[in-house]
Amino acid sequence: MELNEYRSGLDAWLDANAGELTPGEPSQAPLDDEVEQLSRVKKALWESGWGRFGWPEIAGGQGGSVVLRAYLGEALMTRRLVSPNAYSMAEFLAPSVISFADDELITRFVPPFLRGDVLWCQGFSEPATGSNLASLQCRASRSGANWVVQGQKVWTSYAQLAEHGVLLARTGSPDSRHEGISAFFIDMDWPGITIRPVRTMDGIEEFCEVFYEEVEIPAERMIGREGQGWEFAMSLLPLERSTSLWHRGAYLRRELVHFVETVPEDLVAPAALGQVVQQLFTLRARSRATQYRAGAGGVLGPETSVDKLLLVETEQAMFDVVLDGMADGVVLGDDREAERWRSEFMYSRASSIYGGSLEIQRNILAQRVLGLGRDR
Amino acid sequence: MMDATDRSLYADALRSATSEHTGRPLDAVLAELGWAEALTDDPRAAVEFLFENQGRVAHASEALAIVVDAAAGSCAGTGDVLALPRPGHSGQPGTLDGDGRLSLRAVALREPAADEQVVVICAHDESDVAVQVPASAVRVRALHGIDPDHELFELGTGPSGVEVDLAAAKLADWTSGLAAGRRAVAHELVGLSATMLALAREHALSRVQFGRPISGFQAVRHRLAETHVAVEGARAAADGAWDDCSPVSASMAKAVAGRNARVTMRHAQQVLAGMGFTYEHQFHRYLRRALLLDELLGSSRALTYELGVQILRTRRLPELLPL
Repeated sequence: MELNEYRSGLDAWLDANAGELTPGEPSQAPLDDEVEQLSRVKKALWESGWGRFGWPEIAGGQGGSVVLRAYLGEALMTRRLVSPNAYSMAEFLAPSVISFADDELITRFVPPFLRGDVLWCQGFSEPATGSNLASLQCRASRSGANWVVQGQKVWTSYAQLAEHGVLLARTGSPDSRHEGISAFFIDMDWPGITIRPVRTMDGIEEFCEVFYEEVEIPAERMIGREGQGWEFAMSLLPLERSTSLWHRGAYLRRELVHFVETVPEDLVAPAALGQVVQQLFTLRARSRATQYRAGAGGVLGPETSVDKLLLVETEQAMFDVVLDGMADGVVLGDDREAERWRSEFMYSRASSIYGGSLEIQRNILAQRVLGLGRDR
Repeated sequence: MMDATDRSLYADALRSATSEHTGRPLDAVLAELGWAEALTDDPRAAVEFLFENQGRVAHASEALAIVVDAAAGSCAGTGDVLALPRPGHSGQPGTLDGDGRLSLRAVALREPAADEQVVVICAHDESDVAVQVPASAVRVRALHGIDPDHELFELGTGPSGVEVDLAAAKLADWTSGLAAGRRAVAHELVGLSATMLALAREHALSRVQFGRPISGFQAVRHRLAETHVAVEGARAAADGAWDDCSPVSASMAKAVAGRNARVTMRHAQQVLAGMGFTYEHQFHRYLRRALLLDELLGSSRALTYELGVQILRTRRLPELLPL
């Protein structure tokens, strides 16, 4: 299906089903609300067929360009039907699993994820391994038909709510660096897994510490081959900077629209606002080109770090302007609107840290795009 | 529209034309290549290839006047010179009073010969018109300023203006002319920025300090990475402005290209250090040209402020490149 046909069909369907899809009144547990809403929207999209476009048939999809998924996420963000974080995780976790896992694992586990029955989480970072992913220490040793995992992960978003996780562990020798890493597909309720949510400064318990004590993983749950974990991770990371990044740009646009509709005029410096809108234009221009490139079958690589750095610049500059314009609410307010802006401002501070820090993105560009050789 | 092979041949032809020639000789080669016809046939390809390449070597031509003229419909002929706003300004270059007298404080990209006509776009009765005056009736003065390599001539009239034949005036559209000009200058600024980055990168790889190339130092690497983001961001914005061809997208692309050229300039200058501060290195040519072009058809500072004011007035964001 072509984008224009998809757009008009999807928009009409979303309009017709607005009553059923609109989130209910918030409870005291925003994260539960978010996940419940996400599941409701994804189910309705899957059943109606609109959520199946852009996914391969093996995953229960209808095929078609990944650009359709970019538009779907944007349409959902713009209508405030989903929030970007949990929604967009499917955009990088599912395609990587589809690329590396065997057919049995794909057909069994990917469709329930895409149709909103379950959540997945991503176990990459460790306490001693933030930016330096190749040095990860979480260990998986072979024991008969199983792998036994021992170690700890951190910053695992939604681990406490997820049914499954994608886990990187060291199957090679301790000094095997990137060559000794393998990827696994796990169930989060397996014995030996302990999850501790971490309350972050935006007031949400999205990130978790996850402890693995002698966790047994059946060998058929390895994603790809032994030692292919690094390759798996390297294919996943650029995906974090493509479709899901377009979705985040759509979320920023939605929030900026709301801001300019409501901000008191005398609290915004026109030049600062103008610059933020130009940055958002630039981010969307760049990310849009990335969507079309991916849609045409192009391979995404280190150049997507440009997209991420544009996002960081835009998001932080935008919420700096929001902070100035909504200062009274953000600093003193206790109503829902004030708390929302405050939480979003806080979350924007992390955009230069998560998903590969600003410094890591610059290292990638320096070495792999500008050809400046290795860092000493 | 050109197909892929034509585009590639055309791009090669423009690359060698712009690298070998500048000024009037470049105008002559562009005329031989039929560039003005290509502009009608495939404006995006014609503008992107020419202006980015012209920027890459900091050469100059009269092409910007042709772009503005074509989009504004002011119908300047080959023997005419189109008036453009003075750098720092972006309104119609001329003003008509109630008696049909023209006052002019504008610039031209080449010196009009005495027997040529100067074509001036002016606001008139809620729309725009293009009027012609003989060059002999206009005061012409060469401007040197920060970038003497770029020919620029001030066009002026005395306080009482010049009489023009309003009956011969043609309807024109300054908004479209300005938008087309801004897209072109945005591409030229991207070309300038790309070369500034390339110069800094080459220097970083060859300059040895403390026993190794300075490209090994993270402070330098991160500066160059940020510069790359600035160049690629400006390029994406300039390309994006062709998508809807709207005046507001053109203005945003021009502002981003100008601001990012200044970011590029600052980082490249620092990496090039003492070498880049001399006439013996070509960096200063790019710095001068970028500063001139940032001012031409509205500076990044002015365009950014105007955009913010407009958004606060309408309480609406412009359309930002839907998929």
